[in-house]
Amino acid sequence: MLFSASLDVSNVWIERSDRDLCRDLSFTLRAGEVLRVLGDNGAGKSSLLKVVAGAMTPLEGRIMFNGQDVTSHRALLQQSMVYIGHGAGLKSMLTIEENLLSYCPATSPEQMQSVLDILDLANHQETYVKALSAGQSRRVALARLWLSQCPLWLLDEPFASLDVSGVAVVESKIQQHINEGGMVLLTTHQALSSVVTRDLVLS
Amino acid sequence: MTYLTFGRTQCRVLWRRKQDTVNALLFFVMVVALFPLGINPSAAFLAPAAGGIIWCAAVLAILMAIDGIFKEDFRDGTLEQWVVCGLSLPVLMLIKVAIHWFAVVFPLLLVMPLVSEMLMLPSGSFWVLVATVLAGTPCLFLLGAIGAALTVSLKQGATLVILVILPFYLPVIIFATSAIEASQVGLPYIGFVAMLLAVSLLSLVVSPFMTAVAVKASVN
Ligand SMILES: Nc1ncnc2c1ncn2[C@@H]1O[C@H](COP(=O)(O)OP(=O)(O)OP(=O)(O)O)[C@@H](O)[C@H]1O
Ligand SMILES: [Mg+2]
Repeated sequence: MLFSASLDVSNVWIERSDRDLCRDLSFTLRAGEVLRVLGDNGAGKSSLLKVVAGAMTPLEGRIMFNGQDVTSHRALLQQSMVYIGHGAGLKSMLTIEENLLSYCPATSPEQMQSVLDILDLANHQETYVKALSAGQSRRVALARLWLSQCPLWLLDEPFASLDVSGVAVVESKIQQHINEGGMVLLTTHQALSSVVTRDLVLS
Repeated sequence: MTYLTFGRTQCRVLWRRKQDTVNALLFFVMVVALFPLGINPSAAFLAPAAGGIIWCAAVLAILMAIDGIFKEDFRDGTLEQWVVCGLSLPVLMLIKVAIHWFAVVFPLLLVMPLVSEMLMLPSGSFWVLVATVLAGTPCLFLLGAIGAALTVSLKQGATLVILVILPFYLPVIIFATSAIEASQVGLPYIGFVAMLLAVSLLSLVVSPFMTAVAVKASVN
């Protein structure tokens, strides 16, 4: 599948606990780009991602998706994005498969099987998520990315608690996604080899 | 995510954690069972008080069930995912509350014949009791959801929910018990049931939006 989408964020002003995290921040994201948000702990990287995802409202600023203003009606953007935050968003009392199907109901059994194979979770299909390790739950959360066919990925520390092979798999998936014309906005403290197109530094 | 898969997931989770609902139900039955033992098992005392006892126990059981409905969702990050999933948050909240309402009230109605027998409620008033439960409890759940969403990010949430929403429960208890009392002394009770229905319908209109706003504020 080939995507073509664009995201324009202009003049956002984010305030949290009466502290300005960023003011007049603007950036654009085009098809095939990976934008990495850099900054110290507490600089406001997660907050910026939440603002783009629509979980937080900025004091000011405008967000355009595919040339349409989505600042006040976010659904248009939200249906074309996957946001994975610090919390995995998985129900501990459901199995891996049930969790993934609740987000991506159109997944076929073959797709499910291949994704679980890639993530090295093939033996755990029927395991409750509460019985998985931190890294394994992270893998399940990330599996949503390639099941849901959305052009925009918003990833908050996607590599947290992943092992070396997990990082490699996710990196290659990001590479594949941008080759298909997808867009990725991510924060990470991990040194990444090649996939990042540009950096955005929050101070 | 679609509304259908959301509802199905909620049902699944509720079923796998059915112990919580069962606990609320056991609590209800125990409170009701203790009254005749503790105060006076004679019909002269129990029959007029039956409606009040049943309703107070039901309200406490519902408070128990409602105060934590968003706890788990907040902790595991799914609450945040609902906010950003592109579906209408008020509709999602309505679906969730409706499923919880059914999961608690349906078993409650199943034990109702037993407890009204235990409290010697006159058989003519039994159906009035059922009508008040059906008309009044939606309001308790809808309002409770607002309180639960408001306090979900706080550590001492549970007691706060009770303080926040209990005042709004009082009219419901008063109308419901008045209806049952009226039916016992042969007065018209339809007006009280209609009031309950009106309050529930009003909260049906208002509550999903307020719950959605509270949820958004909590994930912030
Ligand atoms: N729930 C909250 N309520 C109030 N203030 C918050 C909340 N979460 C974070 N903050 C504040 O907002 C600021 C930015 O937080 P944010 O989570 O965006 O940082 P971050 O750049 O993602 O940091 P990290 O690298 O540790 O993930 C922090 O200074 C923090 O004090
Ligand atoms: Mg962060």
